[in-house]
Amino acid sequence: MKTLVLAGMLVLSMLVTALSASAESLKTIKAEGELSFALTGQYPPFNFVDEQNQVTGFDVEIGKEIARRIGVKGVPVTTAWDGIIGGLLANKYDLICGSMAITPQRLETLAFSTPYYRSGAQIFSHVDSDIGSVDDLKGKKVGVTLGTTYEEWVRNNIADADVRTYKGVPDMVLETANGRISAFVTDKIVGALAIKEKGAPLKLVGDLLYEERMGIAFNQGNPELKAAIDDALSAMQDDGTYLAISMKWLGIDVR
Amino acid sequence: MLDWGIIVHYFPFLLQGTVLTLKISVIALFFGFLFGLLAALLKLSPNLLLRQAGAFYVWIIRSTPLLVQLFLIYFGLPQVGIDLGPFMSGVLALAINTGAYNAETIRGGIISVPTGQMEAARSLGMGPTLAMRRIILPQAFRMAIPALGNNFVILIKDTSLVSTITLVELTLTAQRLIGSTYKPFEMYLMAAFLYAILTTTTSLLLGRLENRIAVERR
Repeated sequence: MKTLVLAGMLVLSMLVTALSASAESLKTIKAEGELSFALTGQYPPFNFVDEQNQVTGFDVEIGKEIARRIGVKGVPVTTAWDGIIGGLLANKYDLICGSMAITPQRLETLAFSTPYYRSGAQIFSHVDSDIGSVDDLKGKKVGVTLGTTYEEWVRNNIADADVRTYKGVPDMVLETANGRISAFVTDKIVGALAIKEKGAPLKLVGDLLYEERMGIAFNQGNPELKAAIDDALSAMQDDGTYLAISMKWLGIDVR
Repeated sequence: MLDWGIIVHYFPFLLQGTVLTLKISVIALFFGFLFGLLAALLKLSPNLLLRQAGAFYVWIIRSTPLLVQLFLIYFGLPQVGIDLGPFMSGVLALAINTGAYNAETIRGGIISVPTGQMEAARSLGMGPTLAMRRIILPQAFRMAIPALGNNFVILIKDTSLVSTITLVELTLTAQRLIGSTYKPFEMYLMAAFLYAILTTTTSLLLGRLENRIAVERR
């Protein structure tokens, strides 16, 4: 009996130390000294886990820089893309700073900062495949990350496409290399980097499908938080910090 | 075929993930055992209402998937103002889930103790609670240990599901590293190996406990 009580106390103390609070308004963020921001960690070079098991990349440095300018510590949280909005609505973290495109549909439930970078949707297929344009994808297996704008676009624009949903880009790169899917749609920079840095056997198919502007998302009704983020973004663009981060991770200015 | 350089470099990070997996397992195992014991006693209670409460808990948990229970607690509860962190949500879901299975295992152990044991204890002047604690439960657990061990091993493996609620335990550590290494075979092999170590150790410890109890029995 005594050992059971002791074990119980030990377990309870572990629980207390593990309790973590969540924040929403700018005031609580400042009080807690921590700004948590979500991303998948499956989207190199924007956000990924490096060789030292640290979450890093363009989004991560932008998020941390914003936190620094607000005067708090930035903490990245990795979560699956299809649950990332649900987690924000449930206040599991303060922001989504993970390459989320600003869309009218998302604006119905979320608030966004001013855009922090622009890019576009691109089709990638195996280097040896005979797919040369969007039209060649009719009836083929096309990969997309679940819950992305790419998923919506493929479902609406490619006739009879057999849409396969994945948790992240690396999964689709592997699947295309294995020949399980004919092509996938993702951000042009992300796919191009997989080819350049990882030697993935992929090629770009056709031109950009459409352009997107990415924003940092947070819960609605937080004008102070929005002002703080927008100020930090514009200040880092003015003083060259943004350019340095952009060049470091992407080799181009993605403003 | 295997890239040993990758394995050597990344193994320590997977070990870090294993620490969280172990922590979640231990806490969920402890509370899952308590929930199971409580629910088993409820189901055997002479009071109809308590009996039905126990039966309802076991039924609702065993008839729904753990992943859905986990999402209900993590994503759903904040909507009604209950905001548990990912760690609490994960541990709670696992404990509640395994508790329902433990309840049936423990109940099975209790009813397998011959009724004469309770009658004898009562005739010696023990109250029903004391008789349950001193006479019935020790014998019930002896019966239930192999099946409880089974539940414990399943629980350890089920902790992989909390990778879906941002907890960077063993499975999510492997998944995240695949994102930058493109080496799923090596990463998942290492994860499988580490899970096997955890579950095998648990089985061995329970086997020793069983042997010790068997000695007492002789």
